Amino acid sequence: MIKVEDLWHTYLKGTPLEAVALRGVDMEVYKGEAVGIIGPTGAGKSTLIQHLNGLLRPQRGRVIIDGEDLSDEGADIRAIRRKVGLVSQYPERQLFRPTVAEDIAFGPQQYGLPQDEIHQRVRWAMEMVGLDFEEFKDRCTSSLSGGEMRRAAIAGILALRPEVLVLDDVTSGLDPKGRRDLIKRIERWHRKEGITLVIVSSSMEEIVQLTERIYVMKEGRMVMSGATREVFAHPQALIEYGLGVPQVTEVMYTLRMRGCEVATDILTVAEAEEEIWKILRGNFAFRTLRGMGGGRI
Amino acid sequence: MKTSSDEPIIRIENLCFAYNADSENPVVALKDINLEINRGEYIAIIGHNGSGKTTLAKHLNALLIPTKGDVWVKGMNTRDPSCLREIRSTVGMVFQNPDNQLVATIVEEDVAFGPENLGLPPEEIRERVDWALEIVGMLPFRNYAPHLLSAGQKQKVALAGAMAMKPECLILDESTTYLDPAGRREVLDVVRRLNEEGITVITITHFMEEAVQADRVLVLEKGRIAVQGTPRQVFRWVERLRALQLDVPQVTELAWRLHKRSSNFPADLLTVEEMVEELCQRIGRRTHYL
Repeated sequence: MIKVEDLWHTYLKGTPLEAVALRGVDMEVYKGEAVGIIGPTGAGKSTLIQHLNGLLRPQRGRVIIDGEDLSDEGADIRAIRRKVGLVSQYPERQLFRPTVAEDIAFGPQQYGLPQDEIHQRVRWAMEMVGLDFEEFKDRCTSSLSGGEMRRAAIAGILALRPEVLVLDDVTSGLDPKGRRDLIKRIERWHRKEGITLVIVSSSMEEIVQLTERIYVMKEGRMVMSGATREVFAHPQALIEYGLGVPQVTEVMYTLRMRGCEVATDILTVAEAEEEIWKILRGNFAFRTLRGMGGGRI
Repeated sequence: MKTSSDEPIIRIENLCFAYNADSENPVVALKDINLEINRGEYIAIIGHNGSGKTTLAKHLNALLIPTKGDVWVKGMNTRDPSCLREIRSTVGMVFQNPDNQLVATIVEEDVAFGPENLGLPPEEIRERVDWALEIVGMLPFRNYAPHLLSAGQKQKVALAGAMAMKPECLILDESTTYLDPAGRREVLDVVRRLNEEGITVITITHFMEEAVQADRVLVLEKGRIAVQGTPRQVFRWVERLRALQLDVPQVTELAWRLHKRSSNFPADLLTVEEMVEELCQRIGRRTHYL
């Protein structure tokens, strides 16, 4: 679905402020996949994904979206933007209509959809992001809290029903519950309708939950890639790249380093609970046995 | 004997605040907040979106004035316009979105903006800018254009800008939200160091791992302080925090789950180190028997 080949990008090329953001990036995303991109700040993640819907055009290298080559001058950018929905880092800035429902309806209106279809999409998109339709549809966008604005802006992209959804760190700034709810809904949407997901996030918990495969970027290059679980099983490398791993992964990894025979490909609290319980129970069972046998402890 | 430094740096009495207070539909954001913040304290404020965290923070440097009640900063009432300058130079603030606080076209000029407005001599400004950039690790980027920096880098510049004013109290309003884990750790290390040097820190955050490093955690809910105490006291309330739509650190949740399975496992572990120590001891005992 998406193929990026040897992509380079330099900001303010030819000026004293020239800054190279991408240095030969390769990436592939297949239809229906959920792929994560992680990397420290300044790695080029946002620059890369702005190429995926044609906001940036390749300066060198190629970006091919569903067969359409973006380095080709005559590429149909409009078609690509309909296919690829990009939720940028501060989506609340994209709000510009007076009310929430009007803002979300703007995109579908541009597609010339019938009125009831638009209405349906707005309702659906608001539900996806956890904004109650009746309560929020007529609210003025400027009266929303930071978290609500963010939800409304995400809903605006969802209402376009893109085939590929690209999310640039959109859950930061939401409270934990808001974040969990949004992730759950996106996950369900991905599972049910096979939408392709490309997710940039600084929350490793989120990456672990949503993606099957990840790319690790640093200084404009891809430095690691693979199945999410495999990449996180090497926390040392990730930490060296300036990334974090989930706290529970760190616990297991440290235990292993200290000589305990525990699994290190643990990504969630529930998995850690099971693994540790297995070991501790072994411990308790042994003590009980000794106790019953009257052995000296 | 009571000296002036025993006085809390910030004192809040019966603070109530409503947006559009004069209109027909005031939106009440804070209700009856009473709080004393001591010099050198490190306070974390948590609460879900819309619980009043930012509104509270904006009262601490007179960006907002109470609808009812009073806020005193070093004994100065924020209602008194003649104290405004002194209050704002005492309490520095770093916001969530760095793009809204960077003003200049070059990083070091941005950091110099505040001190320049204090009318300091050029050498002093130079010194403060270098010091502040060094402390946040952005000295190599001094000649960059801020808009070309990544979100995390911009936030460090904003933090340097606040530090260049040498405030006695620093408020961070979700300032690490857009940082990657390493960036967050770096900023937190800087903040901790500043706190150790005596600067009062008030941080508003959604990251529970961040709240753990504070001396005191306040949980806001619907404009009131719902729970407060040391991180260890507060995060014991896993279920109560959940009900307030908050998380606890992963380690605390793991400890709590293990505690439910076996009541002699401590439920109040806060950090990876504590968890590893606890487990090593328990597992170590077993290898010993074998």
